[in-house]
Amino acid sequence: MTLQDLVLSLSRFWSERGCLLQQPLDVEVGAGTMHPETFLRVLGPRHWSVAYVQPSRRPADGRFGENPNRLFKHHQFQVILKPSPDGAQRIYLDSLEACGIDPTRHDVRFEEDNWESPTLGAWGIGWQVLLDGLEITQFTYFQQAGGIDLAPISVELTYGLERIAMHLQGVDNVYDLLWAPGVSYGEVRHREEVEQSKYAFGEVDLPAGEYGRAHRDLFDRYYELAERLLGSGLTLPALDHCLKCSHAFNLLDASGSIGVTERAAYILRVRKLAVAIAEAHVAWERDHAAVAGEGAPTAGRADDSASERTAAAQAGGA
Amino acid sequence: MANRELLVEVGCEEMPASWIPGLEAQVAERLAARLAEARIAAHTPVRAFVGPRRLVATVAELADRQSDLQETVTGPPVRAAFDAAGMPTKAALGFARKQGVDVSDLERIETPKGEYLACHRRQPGRATPSMLGGVLSATLRDLAFPKAMRWDATLDDGRGEFLFGRPVRWLLFLFGGRVVPFTIGRTPGAVASGVAPVHSGNVTYGHRFFAEAGAPGRPIEATSFADYRERLAGAYVLIERAERRDRVTSELHNAAAAAGGRLAPLDGHSSLLGEVPDLVEHPAVVTGTFPRDFLALPDEVLSTTMVHHQHYFPVVDTLGRLSAHFLAVTNTPGDDAARTARIARNAERVLVARLRDARFFWDADRAQQLEDRLDRLDTLLFHKRLGSFRAKSERTADLAARIARDVLACPEAAPSARRAAELAKADLATDMVGEFPELQGVMGGVYAREQGEPEAVWKAIYHHYLPVGVGADDPPVRKDLGEAASTWAAVSLADKADAVAGLFGAGEKPTGSRDPLGIRRQAQGLMRILIDLPELTGLTARVRIGQVFEPARSAQASDDWSSVYWALDRLGRKWRDCRSVKGIADDTGMGEPRVRDLLEEHRSEVRQVTAAAGWSGYALKLRPAIFLLERLRYLLEARGFDVRNVRAVTHQWPDDVCPLDARRKLEVLPELTDSPDFRILATLFKRVKNIARELATAEESGTPLEDLLEEPAERALLAELDRRSPLVDHAVRRGTGFREAFAEAARIGPAVDRFFTEVFVMADDQKLRLARLRLMKRVEQLVLQLADVSEIVPEV
Repeated sequence: MTLQDLVLSLSRFWSERGCLLQQPLDVEVGAGTMHPETFLRVLGPRHWSVAYVQPSRRPADGRFGENPNRLFKHHQFQVILKPSPDGAQRIYLDSLEACGIDPTRHDVRFEEDNWESPTLGAWGIGWQVLLDGLEITQFTYFQQAGGIDLAPISVELTYGLERIAMHLQGVDNVYDLLWAPGVSYGEVRHREEVEQSKYAFGEVDLPAGEYGRAHRDLFDRYYELAERLLGSGLTLPALDHCLKCSHAFNLLDASGSIGVTERAAYILRVRKLAVAIAEAHVAWERDHAAVAGEGAPTAGRADDSASERTAAAQAGGA
Repeated sequence: MANRELLVEVGCEEMPASWIPGLEAQVAERLAARLAEARIAAHTPVRAFVGPRRLVATVAELADRQSDLQETVTGPPVRAAFDAAGMPTKAALGFARKQGVDVSDLERIETPKGEYLACHRRQPGRATPSMLGGVLSATLRDLAFPKAMRWDATLDDGRGEFLFGRPVRWLLFLFGGRVVPFTIGRTPGAVASGVAPVHSGNVTYGHRFFAEAGAPGRPIEATSFADYRERLAGAYVLIERAERRDRVTSELHNAAAAAGGRLAPLDGHSSLLGEVPDLVEHPAVVTGTFPRDFLALPDEVLSTTMVHHQHYFPVVDTLGRLSAHFLAVTNTPGDDAARTARIARNAERVLVARLRDARFFWDADRAQQLEDRLDRLDTLLFHKRLGSFRAKSERTADLAARIARDVLACPEAAPSARRAAELAKADLATDMVGEFPELQGVMGGVYAREQGEPEAVWKAIYHHYLPVGVGADDPPVRKDLGEAASTWAAVSLADKADAVAGLFGAGEKPTGSRDPLGIRRQAQGLMRILIDLPELTGLTARVRIGQVFEPARSAQASDDWSSVYWALDRLGRKWRDCRSVKGIADDTGMGEPRVRDLLEEHRSEVRQVTAAAGWSGYALKLRPAIFLLERLRYLLEARGFDVRNVRAVTHQWPDDVCPLDARRKLEVLPELTDSPDFRILATLFKRVKNIARELATAEESGTPLEDLLEEPAERALLAELDRRSPLVDHAVRRGTGFREAFAEAARIGPAVDRFFTEVFVMADDQKLRLARLRLMKRVEQLVLQLADVSEIVPEV
């Protein structure tokens, strides 16, 4: 199964189970969780199910295209089910079968691995799913996002597409993967890994210290803009710029431009912004739900007809 | 006989393995308690079994009814219940009405306080099945999880949302073979297709994959515990932990032997064997092999990769060297050779990928000497007010050398301590530690060894983050430290003292459970070294807290404010001084206007420190020395010493406390605290202290007491003091013989008692009064150098 077949299989599987198929966020992020389709949709009372691929940049994991397993940018297949169905684990295992992984031929395990994103003020309870010792998915019941307690609880499934494809194709080097018939992963992405790694680790023709200074500066500018956007009631653009801060921070971190406690201070700043954005979003949803006459989130009883509607149906009806 | 067996199984999603042993104990204990509370007699013990996907409890013989409740409710006293005419008063009528009976039905009972009205009530017990739902709700609510989760569930017990360790997916609940009705509801906001309440039933589910096919496995009906257990065993679920553990252990040993070796000793990873049986419902061991050339990696890296990251067991050959085999415990029936081979192959690929990374780091890191990394440490900030890790290393190096020479009285270790401390943090700039942060320190030691540093240096680096555990047997042990023992102690003490002093000065105080910088852990490590110094290093120094902490404090790079901060902290001992700007100006050498400005600028911190200096209130916790003292007390209590004894032997000003002496005193105290003499002394000692406090410092000496005291009782006490002091003083000076010293000091108890009985301290004659106060002061001084025994109030 090629990498693109894997994406197609998962997309078909989840769309058949009522998920809206979304597209990646066009801002640099470290994980699919940062996409507003996850970070904002899990807030508030409204039911929502969605799936999408998210290219995820982790500057510190860049290896100049030389490491067979480690990538500056990898691809996550992200699924959010809100509320989380009782059979979430079973449905997830069915999705593996849809990709050609028969759990009875392997050792498939759910091992404790609680997820936490300090920058997003988000955490959840869950597992890493191990396939014969290989971590292929992060399975999380979200508890908080943007510092806000969630109700109902969403489940987040994050598949590591390269890992699963490597397992399915039996290759030991990610660059040998078949992305499409006759086209290798290396052909598609190797040059990007080399160049992005050099950038991430500061191999740039700049005077000493200038790399760090430039990115601190970027961080501060994005931060200031994000605050202004938030103040102007533009929550989604504010989130974009909050994520840009997060990426600038990751670059500072990877290039060794900041130390442990300074690091903590940066994380705290991004978190503060993320919390404010989450609060603004919840307030917006509450106001607009009231205008649309939908069940108020705090009334204690959701409007059944509204909550039973699937995201797909809403998208189709719009 | 009728079947009165109770069987409950809470089917859940995978619980974390580390919780399972504790949960098993909790389930048994809480269910038993809740049954007792509901007055349902368990004729056989509650048995509990917890595995990754189920919490099970059973009682073979449970009473089928609650026991009847008989109680006597006491009302008003008879004298208040009737008026002069013999008519019931309001009190009597009110009581009868509340009990739902007529006044004439009330009885009279005799109590120690006189005759009272009373109402006897008898409430017949209800049938057990009608009570069991409440028992289960209460039991489920009682279970404490290290981290509970919300999953949109509710219980119908009036307490609303139901948090649990993991979502509950089914519930088997039988009494006498019949289903007991029970429902876990769902919050309204989550109601949707696919989200439903959990209703109790008579079915369970087997292994997630290997029970009969179906989703999630076909339901299995059960009628009794024996039946349940047998059917689950047939569905690849072993409910008993001991059975899973035994199978894991024996399969591991067999597999290791089959691979031509034996299971590697799991130093520092011993939890793996405890954890793995709780990760699976049906264990089966798979043997894998990795290419031999990876064996060139250090054992620490190989073991960490296998054990820590993959939960695999390393195998050693007959000579005890790591071999190229590893063992994985899987959650499978283990009966399909093709599957076993497939799993092993995949596990090898995962492990090899990790080892390949590790080898890359190993080769890259060794291309550079540790000292060449110090420049890089310059860019790693330790704390924004305390500078880089390089600056920290330099402070620590000076401090370590000084501690070796002056504090541990081991000048020959000073050069190696300086060298080790200079290099100790260099591994933070290596790729290996970037990838395996848990190997910090260890890798630094290994790289130091590789570049030819002597044992005293490389082992000191290797272990310098230790000790982490507070127990006497927690690592490191003497033999691991080898020739580095003294060097290690100096480096480890210096590293921790610098961190605690620096971070406190920078305003980073641990609060509640928040301690992101690990200050508490480091303070405990520091105390642990001082407590166990002879056992850990063979050194005999009796180190006071201040001897380590004060130099660390003065080594902190200081801006004007931190000088003032430390001056406040230091002067806090005489709290009046710290309130005078002049006192601070004198202490810091700064001008008074500058001091005044700084005090104004940092008003809130000043308040915290000065409040602390008053020796009272919550703000005390802000002071680093007192923080250290509290960690010492915590550590001693964690070793099982009585909390009152701990307070008694650590009563001094924190800087003056010697942790090793405290431990040695505690080891002998329990033998003595019950002796009659000791009890007399302990009871009277508070009074001694109160009286001695009346004496001003200037009045402590003067004309010899024997020329002043008159009464036989006070002269007898003075004679006792003269007789007992030498032995006590000697012990305190030497730091040994505390058993005899305590016994000796206790012998003055009767003389003190007689003194208080026969002598009036506050005599009109001022000279005499002063002499008696001085006598009390001497008693106080003699005892206090051992312990403040007033903390040890004898139990009456």
